[in-house]
Amino acid sequence: MGGNTSQLSKENVSEYQELTFLTKQEILLAYKRFSELYEDRRSSLDPRTSRIPLQKMTELPELRSNPFKHRICRVFSTSEVKDGSLSFEDFLDLLSAFSDSATLEIKSHYAFCIFDDDNDGTLNRKDLEKLINHLTSESEDTKLTRNEMEQLINNILEESDIDKDGTVNLSEFQHVISRSPDFVSSFKIVL
Amino acid sequence: MTTYNNSGYLNPAYHDYETLEIDRREAPAWLGVRAPQSPTAQPGGDDASGGRWQEERQGTDESIPLGFISTQPQNPPWQHNLNHTTFQIDPDAHDRSAASQISSSMSANMTLRWRGVSARRLSLFPTGDPSHLFPEDVIRNELDNEEQDLVKELIGLSTVDRIQAVRALPMSVREKKHVRSQVLAFKSSKQSQQRGCCADCSESVSWTFRRFGSGLKAAGQALELWQGTMKEISGRFGTSVLTYFVFLKWLLMFNVLSFLINFGFITVPLLVYDPSPNIPPNVSFRGLEILTGVGYFNYTVMYYGGHSNETFAGQVTYNMQLAYFLTIAIYMVLCGLALIVSMAGSFRSNYVVADPSSDSAWQLLCSWDFNMTNERAVRQRKNNLRVQLKESLSENAQRKLLTLSEELSRLCVHLASWFLSTILALGCGASVYYLCLYEAQMLAADAASWSLLEEAKTLLVPFVVSLINLCVPLFYSLFNKFDHYSSHRRQIYALVVRNVFLKMFILGVLCYYWMDVVAQNVSCWESVVGQALYRLVIVDFLFLMLGSFFGEFLSNVIGTRMLPRIGVPEFDVARNVLELIYAQTLAWIGIYFAPLLPVLQIFKLFLLFYLKKISLTHNCQPPQRTGRAAQMQTIFTALLFFPFFVGALSIVAYTSWSLTPSENCGPFRGLNNSFGAVAVWIHTLEDISGSQWVIWIYQKIIKSPIFYFIVTLIILMFIYVFWQVTLGRKELIALLRKQIVKEGKDKMFLLEKLHSLQTSHPNATNKQANQQQRIGQFSDRRSPGSQSNSSALVQALLARQQFEGDLSGGVPVPADISTSSGLIQAMLAYQRAEDLNEDLYRMPDGRLSSFAPLPPPTRPRDEDRGTAGGPGDPVHAPGALEQAMQARQRAEGADDLSSSAVMMQVIQARQQEERLQWTPGPPHNPAPSGSSALIQAMLARQQAQNEFDDGY
Repeated sequence: MGGNTSQLSKENVSEYQELTFLTKQEILLAYKRFSELYEDRRSSLDPRTSRIPLQKMTELPELRSNPFKHRICRVFSTSEVKDGSLSFEDFLDLLSAFSDSATLEIKSHYAFCIFDDDNDGTLNRKDLEKLINHLTSESEDTKLTRNEMEQLINNILEESDIDKDGTVNLSEFQHVISRSPDFVSSFKIVL
Repeated sequence: MTTYNNSGYLNPAYHDYETLEIDRREAPAWLGVRAPQSPTAQPGGDDASGGRWQEERQGTDESIPLGFISTQPQNPPWQHNLNHTTFQIDPDAHDRSAASQISSSMSANMTLRWRGVSARRLSLFPTGDPSHLFPEDVIRNELDNEEQDLVKELIGLSTVDRIQAVRALPMSVREKKHVRSQVLAFKSSKQSQQRGCCADCSESVSWTFRRFGSGLKAAGQALELWQGTMKEISGRFGTSVLTYFVFLKWLLMFNVLSFLINFGFITVPLLVYDPSPNIPPNVSFRGLEILTGVGYFNYTVMYYGGHSNETFAGQVTYNMQLAYFLTIAIYMVLCGLALIVSMAGSFRSNYVVADPSSDSAWQLLCSWDFNMTNERAVRQRKNNLRVQLKESLSENAQRKLLTLSEELSRLCVHLASWFLSTILALGCGASVYYLCLYEAQMLAADAASWSLLEEAKTLLVPFVVSLINLCVPLFYSLFNKFDHYSSHRRQIYALVVRNVFLKMFILGVLCYYWMDVVAQNVSCWESVVGQALYRLVIVDFLFLMLGSFFGEFLSNVIGTRMLPRIGVPEFDVARNVLELIYAQTLAWIGIYFAPLLPVLQIFKLFLLFYLKKISLTHNCQPPQRTGRAAQMQTIFTALLFFPFFVGALSIVAYTSWSLTPSENCGPFRGLNNSFGAVAVWIHTLEDISGSQWVIWIYQKIIKSPIFYFIVTLIILMFIYVFWQVTLGRKELIALLRKQIVKEGKDKMFLLEKLHSLQTSHPNATNKQANQQQRIGQFSDRRSPGSQSNSSALVQALLARQQFEGDLSGGVPVPADISTSSGLIQAMLAYQRAEDLNEDLYRMPDGRLSSFAPLPPPTRPRDEDRGTAGGPGDPVHAPGALEQAMQARQRAEGADDLSSSAVMMQVIQARQQEERLQWTPGPPHNPAPSGSSALIQAMLARQQAQNEFDDGY
């Protein structure tokens, strides 16, 4: 399927260039990688409608070992059946948000969406617990204890929950992000 | 009612209201922009939200009051008005708040604005799917309106800004495409109306420029050196190790620039004019020169001495003296500017804004590397993160337990280790100085007659210096084992500062020796210094290779084979970066004495990159601690600038201003100092007419101390002003923070009050629920419970209608009062509904209130509230108002109609609604009460917003 690169017309590329933070090379590379993953041989690849299922998508080397791979796919998927499958445009969206030149605003917005496991718009205690588990737990025995987890979440809330409502909302989250300089350089996925 | 169990929580407005006053626009931008909960999303999936949607849909189909509303002929205008007013007010509010935000960029505003709109839209439709409350076309209209607003705003921007703004919208590509196509369509239609050649032309020019810009960017990316390797490194070792390689690459760029400048303006003209080096016949290339830099090289363009002082007069005249001086001066200035710019930028983002508390949990969580692609590295990183999180917990607990004696002993250890390290650095400096003196005595003055052995002896000093640089830092690391600082960061800083001291002492001593001893005694002293620097650079490179072999390979072997306790070494970013900085300083100092030294430096850095990469991947493990990579990088840049670049600059400046150039060689022979070249040139200019301004600049500006004095004063003034601005901003931030906290406290207080209120009427809702279940849910049954509910709702609607009627009828009621009266009415109605429910339980036969909206349920009101404002006709506006005021006073005992009070009401209303739903009801907890409460809450919310907008 490598020969499909010609499908992406010049107009398409320049349009994507205007709509995302990606350069021409990056878009073409993304298209190449995407068409490699795309295996539905019955229909040819159409950037708008062809979708790669979540399982297949998470096999991408850049995502494979990412603890948030499922969340990332779900957040960026525009699939109507909500199965986390990505079209090429969604894929570009993903790369754009994770690219070098994306603004802090965009990055923190998507980071928030990724961390917000239940999609309710705030990071509540459950979301935070899931986040910590994603980032730490390997097996049952090395998990943080219940007590430690509680304490940790309390610390987090104490630190960032400015209005003391027990959850971290987007503006509070962005406040935290703007004060942690490593975020921009680490919230990055490059093909 | 199970579907509503979470709806209060899911309601973005719930999380929104506390920020109403401060940053409302930013509040819950999360939702809806992306698919998961977007109101435009289609139902019918296996996903949770889809399921919820369907359940809600079911619930609302049964809901009586809603059905009731939609069948009433009077009501549609209300709905329309409601929506209409809100969305008309929107843009104004946004514009106002946008105007108040001075410093944010246009595109950021745009994003916020769009998100603000979607947020508000969503807070209007709390459950995420509005279609059960409003007809579909209304919703579509609203969405279209918002999009239109966005498009309008985008049209107002210039092309470049627009592209940036569209890029920064947090939407999917498809939505962006839609917005963009609309903007473009509008633009093109406008253009076709007023087709001007000029506009066309400028459009095409700007398009070409954009094309060109993106082409350049792409080319730059294609040229990007080592991109794949960098990705691999960051995938395995994370961002903190990557900083070393980024730094290395950055330095390489500096050297390439330096090489291009020096080669282009000094070497090429010289070679063009005089291609063959004039080497004495008795000097031949012996091989050792590559290490020592003496002999053969001494007569080439490598060193200062090989350059001519003539003015080449071919087709163009080229003044070698001037070229040499200006090239080096300009290069130094360029370096300084580049350093300052990059340093200032990263300082701003990494220090001024950054959180002072290190190692906090959020910092750790936010700095998760999405770059990491290696499975093992990710696992290791997770483990490390867990350890770090645990440590941060224990540190928090431990911090208070430190006793005085512990504190004292720690202080003593600090003092001792600082004392020791300083002594060590001083001792090293002194020994290097005496070694230099010894070397000068030992070697014969005439370098041309040196034997191989004598030539090799020149390597002694660089060897010792590099050995010191290799070994002493290891001692320092050893100190760090005993010398514990409260945080990891401080530990690193201490190590860095000690190493910097050491390197500064050594370089300082060497420079003193060159300036003071060599410059007085040796004939062609600049070349000698150049050779010494050459040797230092070469030997330093050899030692760097050895260092990475011994430092990393051996400790890897020891760690894996002999002493597993020590473990595989980590890549010490700080030490390695300091080595790079040291090497770069040598190159900077040497730029005057050996203009082609950057070539050497380029080779060195290039090889070093691969060497370190191999050593890293074979010998090292990812770092245990996720240090603050960005801050470390800032520190390194700052270090490179402050002691090292400034030191090198001052040495070069001192050399060219104060030292006498050697008499027999080099471009400046015969001058008092190198700067004299400029003076001579100016002197020649005096004969040429039309160049008076150059002379004037030279006389009045460059040579005048008053000019520098004034410049310094101005800079100081600017610094002071900016300092004050910073202080002011800090104060403002503190104030805003306090305000947020205050709002939070208000909220908590109200919640508590509400809670106590609810507990004082225990099981009311439960009973109500039971009753409702018993009686059934359909309106045609005419059950008292649902009727009283709906009558309360009717009351609310009535109030609303009155209010609307007042406005549309032109009755001169002050806007804020009428809005609050509407609100109060809604609240009142709601409370009555609750009370009614309770009462109905007490008197099961109840009262059959009328179903029509106009005959008001006055009796219940009288009995329930006792103090109602009289059984007047509620259609009569003043009466309603009066009642409202009374109710308000009763409810709050309050006196003001300020916006904060309204907000409180909103909070209460919503809270009540939530309480209602949180109480564990039976599965058939009836929808009507819930949805009516919901509607009221929304009403209240909208009122609050209206009033809020009016208030501003």
